[in-house]
Amino acid sequence: MLSFWTVVERALAGPICTERDFDLGIFVPNLRKAIEKYDIKYDPQTPVPSDDDLADRVWQAGMEFLVETGVYCVDTERRIIFSREEIEGALESGPCGQIFGEGKDARVMPRRVPEDKTLPWCSVGPTSSPLSSELYYVNLVKAHAENPLGDGITIPCLTQVNGQPIVGGSPLGVEGAIRAVLLTREGMRRAGRPGMPIVNGVTTAARAQEHIAASHFGIRQTDALEIGTIHEMKVDFDTMNKVAYSLAAGNLIFAENGVILGGLAGGPAGVAVVTAAYNPVDLLILRGAVQHPFPTHFDLGVTSARDTIWARSVANQAITRNSTLPVVNVGYSAAGPMTKMLFYEHCAWVIASVVCGGSVEVGASARGTALDYTSPVEPLLASEVAHAVPGMSRKEANEIVEVLLGEYESQLREPPAGQRYQECCDPVTGKPNREFLELYMEVRREMTDQFGIQFTSASPYL
Amino acid sequence: MSDESILEQLYNAIINGDKGGLERAVGSALKEGITPSEIIEKGMSPAMKEVGDRFARYEIYLPEMMLAAEAWEGAMQILEPKLLESGGERKKLGRVVIGTVKGDIHSIGKNIVGAMLKMNGFEVFDLGVDVAASAFVSKAEEVSADIIAASALMSTTIPQQKSIIEHLEARGARGKYCVLIGGGSTTQEWADNIGADGYGRTAGDAAILALKAVSQK
Repeated sequence: MLSFWTVVERALAGPICTERDFDLGIFVPNLRKAIEKYDIKYDPQTPVPSDDDLADRVWQAGMEFLVETGVYCVDTERRIIFSREEIEGALESGPCGQIFGEGKDARVMPRRVPEDKTLPWCSVGPTSSPLSSELYYVNLVKAHAENPLGDGITIPCLTQVNGQPIVGGSPLGVEGAIRAVLLTREGMRRAGRPGMPIVNGVTTAARAQEHIAASHFGIRQTDALEIGTIHEMKVDFDTMNKVAYSLAAGNLIFAENGVILGGLAGGPAGVAVVTAAYNPVDLLILRGAVQHPFPTHFDLGVTSARDTIWARSVANQAITRNSTLPVVNVGYSAAGPMTKMLFYEHCAWVIASVVCGGSVEVGASARGTALDYTSPVEPLLASEVAHAVPGMSRKEANEIVEVLLGEYESQLREPPAGQRYQECCDPVTGKPNREFLELYMEVRREMTDQFGIQFTSASPYL
Repeated sequence: MSDESILEQLYNAIINGDKGGLERAVGSALKEGITPSEIIEKGMSPAMKEVGDRFARYEIYLPEMMLAAEAWEGAMQILEPKLLESGGERKKLGRVVIGTVKGDIHSIGKNIVGAMLKMNGFEVFDLGVDVAASAFVSKAEEVSADIIAASALMSTTIPQQKSIIEHLEARGARGKYCVLIGGGSTTQEWADNIGADGYGRTAGDAAILALKAVSQK
């Protein structure tokens, strides 16, 4: 595989191009050409397709698109170009079977394929959701870490330091990022899982300097730093600086690609192709140990809509059939905590991801943006579902997802807000209230009675 | 060629985001004696409305919007001088200065809102991403804007939206502009908290807010 420093050289010396010309003169026409050539068509009637040939055509379209388009470096206004041979070299030598976490909490990141019986990796946690209080922060992390099905933890976002709103790029950003790591470690220690890996370090950090500073206060080599591309097929020096640091420090990297459905990639077909094309980019530029995709709807702000589930399902199949780099999907649901809709949304996208070869990161409710609208309960059920559906056929998964979509998709624009963490859980003990646990049990029974999903008894809330 | 056929060419060129085709169609229209006002009102504006409607129905996406807007702007560069020559004036709804705030590099939402505003007849000045609060204010002053629209995706960058309002206040210019905010981490509560004039969760919301703002001026 090309070295990272060769990639940096290309960012500094590649073909010059304005951003406008990259977007509308190169990216869009190349993508349209690839979609047409490989006949990629969105089928809204089948949110979880079972078509291996479609999956492989999406992969081929993605690779051709990447070779012809390259990746745009915003800071140098140049394209980083990769040949097909270089891409194939990266795919052949990409990481596989990495161990995350320490001691008894260490886990192997599995490579999975569609309809695989292998249990998925399951990251749990508030997935970057903003929190107003350090007490909530520690208690939420603790509750998530007490989920025995959770392999890794995703840390939430602190929004204040000493009563001051955190401003990215300021000293408050540095302190906020450091504090986020320390609080997360403390939450996991209280749960008795001190070796559990953080897989989205460092969420509160907006800039590389915050990311690097926080890494010196509790991020370990067996944790993962989360480093993302820019929409679409772009990177900047700040992103590459994070990679340079992580390589030197020996950290693992979750390479994040949240392709926007409705953005430059266009509709579901384009989103699937671009998500596939990011796989080698995640190896070559972001040096990822995991691809971390989350196609997100431009208007609804979620990953649980029908068209985003289709794009994710197809992209997962394309990637996992053709690349050994493990996929961990993250999901953003619309409804708030303690609503049936949130349970259904999480279950729908988790089932689609797992049967299509992915692992999952469950957690974000209320689009991941509403202050304190997060809980440990829905992610727990989602992780139970993730552990119950490996080996299920895509056809069966499609039928279940179709029913679940029918329950909630009409409400995605105006979803129920649900309750804040401090309303649905006791903020001091961290325990969900009785009504919430009854709702959890009710939906859990529905999943078994309606869809035949058989759960283990691992839940701490039984 | 009939006027109807030329107007259809104008319409189709915008729908297809064909800047060169639109410029050629505008040339043909002028040669046939169709006035600049008619070209805009009967050929181009209905097409822009149709593009906006198709976007709202998820039938087309950002690239088609951006290409249509570029085609429109190219044609207007030809038509505006001719409008002035004939004593007319381009009908503008208002001027919007838009950007993503300092420290934030997320552009897609801002680009969608910018394209949507153009579709609705606004003149849009896009400052890009990672834009300092003072740059929003300076540009608004320079172009006599009606609206400042500031996007921020992250919880750690939304304080920069507040900073724009504080910069306006410091220059004694707060009352001159309608300040609209949006982006993943923003809410109506946040907008109220910082004294913004409006919050849009979606691009469609932003266009409605902007239209409302200029109608109340």
